[in-house]
Amino acid sequence: MKIMSSFLKIFTIMVFLFLYSPIIVMIIFSFNESKSLGVFTNFSLKWYEKVVTNPEVWRALYNSFWVGAVVTFVSIVLGLMMAMAVTRYSFSGKSILESLILIPIIIPEIAEALSLMIMYIFLNIPLGPVTVIIGHIAFSISYVTVVMRARMAGYDKSIEEAARTLGANELQTFFRITLPTLYPAILAAGLLAFTLSFDDLIKTLFTTGPGFKTLPLVIWSSAARGGVSPELNSLSSFALSISFIFALFRLRTERSVGR
Amino acid sequence: MSEIYSVELIDVLKRFGNVVAVDHVNLKIRENEFFSLLGPSGCGKTTTLRIIAGLEEPDEGIVKLYGEDVTDVPTHKRNIGMVFQHLALFPHMNVFDNIAFGLKMRKTPKEEIKRKVKEALEIVKLEGLENRRVNQLSGGQQQRVALARALVIEPEVLLLDEPLGALDLKIRQHMMVELKNIQRRVKTTFIYVTHDQTEAMTMSDRIAIMKDGRIQQIGTPLEIYYRPSNTFVASFIGEAVNLIIGEIGENNVMNTSLGTVYCPEQSIKGKAAVMVRPEMLEIGENLSQVDNLFKGIVQAAIFKGSYIEYRVDVQGTIFIVHKHGIDGMEKFYTPGTLVEIGWKKNSSLTIPV
Repeated sequence: MKIMSSFLKIFTIMVFLFLYSPIIVMIIFSFNESKSLGVFTNFSLKWYEKVVTNPEVWRALYNSFWVGAVVTFVSIVLGLMMAMAVTRYSFSGKSILESLILIPIIIPEIAEALSLMIMYIFLNIPLGPVTVIIGHIAFSISYVTVVMRARMAGYDKSIEEAARTLGANELQTFFRITLPTLYPAILAAGLLAFTLSFDDLIKTLFTTGPGFKTLPLVIWSSAARGGVSPELNSLSSFALSISFIFALFRLRTERSVGR
Repeated sequence: MSEIYSVELIDVLKRFGNVVAVDHVNLKIRENEFFSLLGPSGCGKTTTLRIIAGLEEPDEGIVKLYGEDVTDVPTHKRNIGMVFQHLALFPHMNVFDNIAFGLKMRKTPKEEIKRKVKEALEIVKLEGLENRRVNQLSGGQQQRVALARALVIEPEVLLLDEPLGALDLKIRQHMMVELKNIQRRVKTTFIYVTHDQTEAMTMSDRIAIMKDGRIQQIGTPLEIYYRPSNTFVASFIGEAVNLIIGEIGENNVMNTSLGTVYCPEQSIKGKAAVMVRPEMLEIGENLSQVDNLFKGIVQAAIFKGSYIEYRVDVQGTIFIVHKHGIDGMEKFYTPGTLVEIGWKKNSSLTIPV
């Protein structure tokens, strides 16, 4: 037994090393003074300086944020309605609908991205921020629905009925009772939708138009242009830290909901 | 002058798919009455209550509140209060906001809300807990908040859907007395749904017994206990009942598989059941002054504190006898003892079957 448990311990440590060492190496070398990716010479912030003084990075960051915000809002509204429909009402085709909503999660993103692009071209829709947003919503809505549906499964509908008996009409009941009690679920789903949109590369790559870049796209194109450089390291570390903050937020809200 | 009823249901019918949950129910509930709907689970009592609240729409029939047809009036425009089975307190609000919700919906001025919530908390004896979160309260306290929330809007009718079900026995017994007192004090019609006959018997002015969506009998607790209108009510109410089926001929004499049974005067004729409550049966070795007498063997004797429950086998039929006022061990019949049981014909009742 003892051998088994120490083996498991070592195994776990190795899994974590495997998972995180590339990221740690990337972060360390983003502080490297020399351009070399093999030898760490001196600690320096010069690559970060280059990143923060680059207007293209700021523009991309701004784009990422507002695209993420729109995607989050729209997918929460649609996802909430979808989750409410499948958890509260029974209608024909409900089970088909419930499976259909999961499909964007399982099909390869590249296929989805390509099909979106083909559709836009077919419908003659000019590529740009709008097409990127539609593309992001098309999959984040699935995640939002799944998260919300799980939370709503245990939802006690009688609190809405109680509100009705106390004189609240349907609209008042929704805004004063339903929405506030679902708030933790909405927050968790919203942060998930935002992170997914903020991190997305493939779909953005296929659906964006000339000149419109999000942060992952800037990282991708600078890697494609100049190969891997310390500047790219620091840019990636920068993007990573933003995603990390949102992930922390999400974990915290999930924990407070679990209580 | 025709009497105005607080709630009136006329031929109300409700289907769920192929199941008729409420089957042509007629009810006339008087003002300030404590009225219970009692029946086994699935008998349609909760659906009936929800129809009164407007939370279910009847397929047929009319619902009236104080003489006014409200069949098509939505829940939030009916002046009713409701206490739900699982209480349904608003989890994101404290005690004050829970109770004040109905008043806010009615756009009551702030000062008045404060005063009324305070009064409501006094009625349910929860003074000073305004700022508590509802999940910090005990089961009994949550119960009281739910009650205060429904009462504070001064409803014409208060509907209660098995509100004591989740509480443990001691608190439940206490709340029964409390509820009845509150009902007297606030002078409101209470309609109480329960499957627990003790609750219904303790609090109600009148009880409607339901089964399979139909009302079996409406009456005071005494009436339904001593004058059940059918064998279902007879066996559903009370701890136990003895029913002997037979055919009543001339002179109130019934022929049964056990022999002749003498029934009370003016009994119905034909196929019937004679009902004897366990406490009306006498047990002994040499009984006199009884109209019906049978010999049997004690099968079980269970000591229940204030009485002994005997199960006596009479030619394969089991009679349940409750013997009160036991004075000493000599009268305790152990299983296997040959005994006589009997009853006066006037302590029994004949029921059509």
